[in-house]
Amino acid sequence: MNITCSRDDLSQGLQVVGRAVSSRASVQILAGILLRSAGERVELAATDMEMSLRASVPARCSGEGTVVVPGRLLLDIVRLLPPGTITLEHAETDGIVRLAAGSSEYTLHTYSAGDFPRLPEVDRDAVRGVEREAFLETIAKVGRAASRDESRPVLTGILVQIEGSTLVMAATDSYRLSVKETALASDVGSALEAIVPSRALAEVARIAQAGTSEEIEVGVQENQIVFVVDGVIATARRIDGQFPNYKQLRPDAFEAELKLPREEVLDAVRRVSVMAQRNSPLRLRFADGELTLRAQTQDIGEARESLPAAYAGEPLEIGFNPDFLREGLESVADAEVRLRLISPLRPGLISGAGEDFWYLIMPIRLAG
Amino acid sequence: MIVAHLDLDAFFAAVEELERPELRARPLVVGGDPRGRGVVATANYVARRFGIRSAMSCAEALRRCPDAVFVAPRHRIYRAYSETVWRAVREVCPTIEQVGIDEGYLDVGELAGGFARARAVAEAVQAAVRAATSLSCSLGVASCKVVAKVASDRRKPGGLTVVPPGREAEFLAPFDVRLLPGVGPKAEERLAAAGIMTIGALAALHDGELERLLPGKIGALLRDRARGIDLRPLELEAEAVSISTEETFERDVADRERLHDELRRMAQRVAERLAASDQAARTVTTKVRYPDFSIRSRSRTLPVGIDDPDRIGQLACELLDRALDDRPGALRLVGVGVSKLEAYRQLVLG
Repeated sequence: MNITCSRDDLSQGLQVVGRAVSSRASVQILAGILLRSAGERVELAATDMEMSLRASVPARCSGEGTVVVPGRLLLDIVRLLPPGTITLEHAETDGIVRLAAGSSEYTLHTYSAGDFPRLPEVDRDAVRGVEREAFLETIAKVGRAASRDESRPVLTGILVQIEGSTLVMAATDSYRLSVKETALASDVGSALEAIVPSRALAEVARIAQAGTSEEIEVGVQENQIVFVVDGVIATARRIDGQFPNYKQLRPDAFEAELKLPREEVLDAVRRVSVMAQRNSPLRLRFADGELTLRAQTQDIGEARESLPAAYAGEPLEIGFNPDFLREGLESVADAEVRLRLISPLRPGLISGAGEDFWYLIMPIRLAG
Repeated sequence: MIVAHLDLDAFFAAVEELERPELRARPLVVGGDPRGRGVVATANYVARRFGIRSAMSCAEALRRCPDAVFVAPRHRIYRAYSETVWRAVREVCPTIEQVGIDEGYLDVGELAGGFARARAVAEAVQAAVRAATSLSCSLGVASCKVVAKVASDRRKPGGLTVVPPGREAEFLAPFDVRLLPGVGPKAEERLAAAGIMTIGALAALHDGELERLLPGKIGALLRDRARGIDLRPLELEAEAVSISTEETFERDVADRERLHDELRRMAQRVAERLAASDQAARTVTTKVRYPDFSIRSRSRTLPVGIDDPDRIGQLACELLDRALDDRPGALRLVGVGVSKLEAYRQLVLG
């Protein structure tokens, strides 16, 4: 097999699929990138078993063949080569790929292509197109609330629901819950529901962000969820289990509701949070038409800032993890943010003017 | 600096004697099962006359004194006594560094001004402890921690030894080198092989010889200590930085289910202590000891603190599995610990 292509094309393609190369040293084949000659193009693929990425770049190929090359190594080599033409040569029998560009020459030992996991074919009937912008907007709002704690797999995923002309995504790490409901321009046909690893969704968003296509194709095939965007195929293992019933978690009624200028509150939160170190809470005190933010870390110091707030009830002090609060506020798109509260020990709700996005955040219990 | 080292005398055994006065005249051993492989935690002074010592196997203790009474440790009670003791100590001498349930350093200089008054302060501390709990303690008073610690052990029980400034090296010199804090079994062995048996002999070592016997920083540190030089200040962080519990098995355990059960039980205990101190922990650690006595530990740090026993237990089990994946085998001991403690409790949805 002989492949000739431009360095820029190959580098770009490798960078896309390289994100699925496994960083775990235990299974060698998963550290590889698969290259397959396909006439006018060369197909690239990588997987860490949780997700897979496939792309193809223009090339001149002669001879059939598939080869798996150490991924990081190939990425580094191609990235460092000067722009121009690269040729790859592989004879099935000798377990070596020869790579040449300009006056540079490399020989790389390959992995056994037969060991590379079989990746699911995309079933064209199973996928439906969803507007790219709507998809990106929805992921951006909820992505950060997903858990990184592997001991509770369901929470490391994002619940994706597509029904009629509505796209819903929800994520929670059990301390906060983020839900975004986005109206699509048209009915997408058959409904879909899956818990998708948040990492995979972030990769899809990254690819879509850089791309130009109007739509992202999404489908569920057995235990996999499949995305096709700008010619890149991303698949991810669906997470088994029951996602928390997010509608039930949202309280029916709140005691207090405040409308606050988003940018001003956010800036104040960022400033005061500097003094909330080592997981200290950011304290919000509402009293007499004022919101006072306060943070204090033992042996470090304290910060305090007030801003006007239309609050008329009994004084209320509630503590939040500063990062959780900030991320909630940042996810609101409107100039005005609505904060709804019940009590210092019950969840608070952050939203914009509408109800399409809401962010439920549990407080930190304050001492005394 | 004038510092006192306070050590409660045969603490666990003394508490058991207070709780059960009928045991007072009998050889008493607090520790594991003498038929298994438990070790002696503390022996009372009657038992010590039979040569029974802390960390000796209970089987050996039983052999030395077949009439000894063996009782299992009751840490909850010891903790309560310990709290009363330290509260009483603080009333006399407010600045203390507690280094264990039954020992600590007191900043006596703050109160006494000079060594002449230091003895009176130390006596007042002993009286306060006795009045509050009926327990006796021994104190050593000196210009630095290491000398105070050796001195507190000088006249147990109920002793008080004051080492005047300038006499530190002279005081330490005759003692067995292994009594110097910081000299572990390895260092002791190397020193003994070179004929260094006393703290004085260690103090007299020349640089070259020291470097050969105890290379690196440790040699210089130990020789300084042997000379009565110890610049460590009192560490006044009063709050606990970790909570842990562990258990040595009667026989090595390989059964994963049984190990998980043990860990979950310990997690329960750790969680109770967290709750009692109104704290949550961000780091969970599982410790394992193999039959060859080697120790491994695996930890996980979470974004927010937890105090839920089930969650701590689940994490502890996962960490055990990780440790056993890395090195399979039966275990002699398992333990669960939590650290990165914080007083704030992140509440959970639902």
